[in-house]
Amino acid sequence: MWRTSTTGLALLLIARTGAAHHSGAMFDAQKSITLQGTVRLFQWTNPHCWIQLLVPSAAGTTEWSIEMGSNGNLYRNGWRASTLNAGERITVIIHPVRDGTAAGQFVSATAADGSSLGRASAPASQ
Amino acid sequence: MRAVIALLLIALLGAYSAEGAQNAPQRVRAFAALPDWTGLWDTEASRAFNRLSGKATGNEYEAINKYVQLVGPAPYTEAWGKKLKAELGNPAAAVGASNAKLCTYGFPIIMDVFQIFQAVVTPEETLFVFDNGEVRHIYTDGRGHPVKDDLWPTAMGDSVGHWEGDTLVIDTVARTEGSLGIGPNKLSAQAHFTERVRRPDRNSLEDRMTIDDPIAFTQPWNLTLHYTRAADLDRMLPWDCANDRNPVVNGKISVAPP
Repeated sequence: MWRTSTTGLALLLIARTGAAHHSGAMFDAQKSITLQGTVRLFQWTNPHCWIQLLVPSAAGTTEWSIEMGSNGNLYRNGWRASTLNAGERITVIIHPVRDGTAAGQFVSATAADGSSLGRASAPASQ
Repeated sequence: MRAVIALLLIALLGAYSAEGAQNAPQRVRAFAALPDWTGLWDTEASRAFNRLSGKATGNEYEAINKYVQLVGPAPYTEAWGKKLKAELGNPAAAVGASNAKLCTYGFPIIMDVFQIFQAVVTPEETLFVFDNGEVRHIYTDGRGHPVKDDLWPTAMGDSVGHWEGDTLVIDTVARTEGSLGIGPNKLSAQAHFTERVRRPDRNSLEDRMTIDDPIAFTQPWNLTLHYTRAADLDRMLPWDCANDRNPVVNGKISVAPP
């Protein structure tokens, strides 16, 4: 009986807690934004890698903080610390944070020549 | 005086070497008889997480939790179930859960979350070394658990084991009472864990885990955790929280500048 009745609780909490380090609830997964800008900084760090992207805006330039997976996660998907460098122009799709600040969760990125950054899909061995 | 000390050191070294040489063939045979679990292993969750990393949508990240069996429904007693429900119904507790940030996990959920691990099998102990620095020590030298006065609760508990053929049978007690870290489940201080770990084929490890908690459960909770060889990795990739840019501000996880 209690096995059944706690199932609802489990689902509730799973939605709140989440994958490594913290929940993804802070991001609006229903919304995607495309940003075109210039890389100011690429942090190859844990628990997350980050892209600091300078994006032209009505106010001048806005710096976006884009949260990615850990460097180990990215490494296994073809990324390296040298994949992005300051000054590179890229296009990034993100799920924005819900509080309206200039930040979001990385979804995908393309280089200025249109090529995808990172692997399109994980190796079969994974 | 120096000469005397030097002679003593040489004598000690000689005795140590002689003992090592005497034990070496026996220890080599003991090593050779153990199964080879060399390599790095993905949990089901880490396998799913690495497939998605860098390109997942938020919903997909949340969906990864379905690979963590230990967040699933446990066979709680009515009293323990009511207690949990009351605690989880507390708004403060709910906010705390939504703001939870984890860099270490403890046992048993470390065996089921997103961390890759290395298994080191020796005659005296087997170690599970995780990419976030956590380590499980399973002593297989014939010892039992420490006596009551020498045993206190820890995040990993106290584990001893023995080999039944190619299967490592692990017995764990003295896990700190409380939440599993992710999800709603909570165990009492009397939780007792039995695991049967084996390598069914070259690229798979399996952990048949039974959790018996006489305070919280009506019956033992049986789970089978599956691990896959991380064939794309030739070394451990450490994970930590050194550059944590997600402070909790006004009760919500936010993003801090670099």
